[in-house]
Amino acid sequence: MILKKTLNKKFTYLFMLLLIFSFSLTFAQSDVLELHLWHQRPAPSRAILDELLEEYHAQNPHIKVSVLYKENEELRMGYMASAAFTGGGPELLYGPSDFTGSLVEMGIVRPLDDVFSKEEMADFDPNSLINYQDSLYQIGDELGNHLALVWNKRLFKEAGLDHAPQTMSELIEYGQILTKDFDNDGIMDQYGLVWNYTEPFFVIPFYTSFGGEIMDAHQRPTLDNDAAISAYQLIVDMRDSYKIIPGECDYDIADSKFNSGKAGMLINGSWAWKKYMESPDVDFGLSILPINDATGLYPKPMTSGKGYFINPAAKGRVLEETKKLLRFLVSYDAQLRYSKELATISTRYSVRNNPEILADPIIATSIHQVEHGIAMPITPEMRAIWDALRPAYQNVLGGSMTPEEGAAYQQKLAVEKIAELYEGDAYGDETPISVYFVYFGGILLAFWAMYKLFTGFILPLLKNSHLQGTKDARFAVWLVAPAAIIMFGVVVYPFFYNLLISLSNMGLTTIKTWKIIGFSQYGKVFTDPNFYTYFIKTILWTGINVAFHVSIGVFLAILLNRPLPGKGIIRVLLVLPWAVPSYITALTWRGMFNSDYGAINVILKTLFSIEPTAWLTDPFNAFAAAIITNIWLGIPFMMIIALGGLQSIPKELYEAASIDGASAWQQFKKITLPLLRPVMIPAITLGIVWTFNNINIVWLVSNGGQPGDQTHILVSFVYQAAFNLYRYGYAAAFSFVIFMMLVLFSVYFMKKQKITEGA
Amino acid sequence: MNKDKPLKLILIYSILLLFVAWSLYPILRVITISIRPGDNLLNESLAIIPSDWNFDNYIKLFTEHQFLRWAGNSIFVTIVVVITGVVLASTSGYALSRFKFPGREASLLSLLVTQMFPATMLLLPLFIMLSKLHLVNTYLGLIIIYSSTALPFCVWQMKGYYDTIPYSLEEAARIDGASRFEAFYKIILPLASPALVITALFSFMAAWTEYIVAAQILWYDELFTLPVGLKTFQANMNTEWGLYAAGAIIVSIPAVTLFLFLTRYLIGGLTLGSVKG
Repeated sequence: MILKKTLNKKFTYLFMLLLIFSFSLTFAQSDVLELHLWHQRPAPSRAILDELLEEYHAQNPHIKVSVLYKENEELRMGYMASAAFTGGGPELLYGPSDFTGSLVEMGIVRPLDDVFSKEEMADFDPNSLINYQDSLYQIGDELGNHLALVWNKRLFKEAGLDHAPQTMSELIEYGQILTKDFDNDGIMDQYGLVWNYTEPFFVIPFYTSFGGEIMDAHQRPTLDNDAAISAYQLIVDMRDSYKIIPGECDYDIADSKFNSGKAGMLINGSWAWKKYMESPDVDFGLSILPINDATGLYPKPMTSGKGYFINPAAKGRVLEETKKLLRFLVSYDAQLRYSKELATISTRYSVRNNPEILADPIIATSIHQVEHGIAMPITPEMRAIWDALRPAYQNVLGGSMTPEEGAAYQQKLAVEKIAELYEGDAYGDETPISVYFVYFGGILLAFWAMYKLFTGFILPLLKNSHLQGTKDARFAVWLVAPAAIIMFGVVVYPFFYNLLISLSNMGLTTIKTWKIIGFSQYGKVFTDPNFYTYFIKTILWTGINVAFHVSIGVFLAILLNRPLPGKGIIRVLLVLPWAVPSYITALTWRGMFNSDYGAINVILKTLFSIEPTAWLTDPFNAFAAAIITNIWLGIPFMMIIALGGLQSIPKELYEAASIDGASAWQQFKKITLPLLRPVMIPAITLGIVWTFNNINIVWLVSNGGQPGDQTHILVSFVYQAAFNLYRYGYAAAFSFVIFMMLVLFSVYFMKKQKITEGA
Repeated sequence: MNKDKPLKLILIYSILLLFVAWSLYPILRVITISIRPGDNLLNESLAIIPSDWNFDNYIKLFTEHQFLRWAGNSIFVTIVVVITGVVLASTSGYALSRFKFPGREASLLSLLVTQMFPATMLLLPLFIMLSKLHLVNTYLGLIIIYSSTALPFCVWQMKGYYDTIPYSLEEAARIDGASRFEAFYKIILPLASPALVITALFSFMAAWTEYIVAAQILWYDELFTLPVGLKTFQANMNTEWGLYAAGAIIVSIPAVTLFLFLTRYLIGGLTLGSVKG
């Protein structure tokens, strides 16, 4: 006992120490000025940035630049959250030029007209100085991000070819030559051509090679035309008639196949080339995308720059130092280094004219390709257009729409989504009557809550001291208070914030100037036909998942609940899916569902000779794939609960039943199930709630709802709506509806299960 | 339970092994990616150990990245969260199980209700709240969030376990002169140790693998926890798959080890109490 006491004391000290440590970790400020740079540079260029900053620190000992890497979308969302909602964030932001429109509309980047003089600016390619609404907002240090044709010279030589295809017909012809089934098992071992063809960014070159354009001068989408139809038809033909591209191909499949020498040609962007140059299986060749001989037009890939933005929160000396840092990061020396090592196109003419750079064949091809490219629009509308192209195009690929229907659908969707992007503007100055209801309701709610708190909690605690057990009650309140306060604090603010935003018009253009508009966001939720589709999918998702979790979990528990040599190790192995982080296992599951060489199709084929299933490109199958993955993840929890429940069932019951001649099935039905029920019901309730809101698995397995935004449940849909098109008000209302559905369901479910037994 | 016949045993073993294979295979794939050279996520080969395997990615993790530092940060945050979780859940679960007090019903219900918030409802406001409280770039912010995400479940399961311990034990202790707190601390708490282990395990999992909140509030490489550090290997269309997989494996090792040792506590210790009452 004494030992235990000292041990406990030691723990208390340790705990206190740790707490103090955690407080003191907030960074202490010294006379060195700290600047923050957030960027999305992939690993190779990150290393150069680090070197450059080291030099900068040596030259400027009074400056410390802290760098933070975030993946593209997380960078955009993270910067917005910091800059727009808290007025903070890094002084310097590095990202693609298509961030510009949104960031300016939100008012979270400042004009950069005062960073360089006119003469200095003359050295920059005008395409890298991003203007929006007549001011300069981004200064680029890299142009391109363009797609081009990468080819494996080794495979070309083996097939007797000596140059890259010059026309689309040649592309198809070469593709057919290079597509090979070495062992004649019906599965291609080498493909002529691969690329991430499910993503609309990669279809733009084909679309433009048929003369298509993205939008007109007034930012209106122009997507319903013959060019779209021909482009979509061409890609479907490449897959189904010419059979030169895999039946299923996302970015990672294309990348893996080409990088391991299993594909002759690849369409990919400048960001990825370095990897292939270094690959032992690839003899790197690069050329521009071949001309479309049907129209005589070159494919125009989207090109965009990357560069720096400055946060308007930077003022005074901080601003001056930030500008100085920016000038350094886009300087001749800095750009020369990137360009030399990564073969990227510099934004400075002086760098491009450097003899070493001029002699680089890859940069030469790049510049040639960019000359045939079209600049990616930097307006926020482009986001809406991508969101419209994706489902339409993927529906065509999946066969649920003809190319004609797809073209019409994407135009319609684009118009809708652009309207959604600016929905916050739709509310004028007049105040609708419902707003007063909101205010009135808010006041009533506050009074009701205070009244309840007083009469239900404070009063009984203070007043009824003559009642028996009040002392116990105070003791209990003390015990509960710390946990209650910490949970209350973390949940209450988000809850009311969300409620408030759900009654507002917060969106892209109204992120700082939002106001209460009443219930119209809720109206939008309930009139959106998607809501009902995704609702049904969510019910199916939850029902199927939990049903399998419970039945397989209980089944395994029953098998394990007996004397069994090796039981311990089997139990642990079965629990493992729970222990490994799901963000990686979900991705391996995605790989296992690959139609060509995923483990699942291979097993189905070898064991049961079932034809390969297109798991991830068919909406129904993709949904099934997500469900299978999640079932795998959820079984261990239910199994453990069931095992615990089974162990608490007295063995005498079974013995008595056996003596009475009850069969195993009867025992299961009459003893196991009824006694397991009270243990399982709370777990099931919780399982339902968790599964209903489980965004990760659907998102990761379907790569964000693919194909065609059809693999969504309610939460993943609202996540996309909120963060892709900045529909914060709408998303808040939608989230609140999801929350209320769960509350109502649980109340009903628990009532029905009659869980009234208490302590 | 009676002894099973050999035939039945064989059947049981084959079913169990089938499920073991199913539960292990995806995890083994992660290992495959981590020891395969060339940074490919996918490969035609179904072999678990590729012919040209090596440990380069693991070596890189420790030599070229601040992996040890991230691991240290994660361990620190996790330990604090586990201690907080165990202390708070064991006390409040006890109160909810043993006493009738004003607000008890509401507390029990709100435990469940906290699990119903969709992530989209919490992410942005939590970040705003933390930055208003100047908790960005501190572990305190993380610790508060992690503790509170793990708490509802832990409190609930602690309460469920206390419910199974007869009240007469405390009564006896009280008659012997123990105070209410002593009765809880000396008599009941030791009996509830299986449930405490589970609370610790759940708090561990909540803190050890989380990255969304951490990625939002930690701005410095040196402050990163393991999962956030792991995310730096992932880029849009440019993921370093080998490193990412190797990192994930290392992140899993402590979790797997814990499960290895604690599974027998999990069974029987994990009792969710009834929600109402």
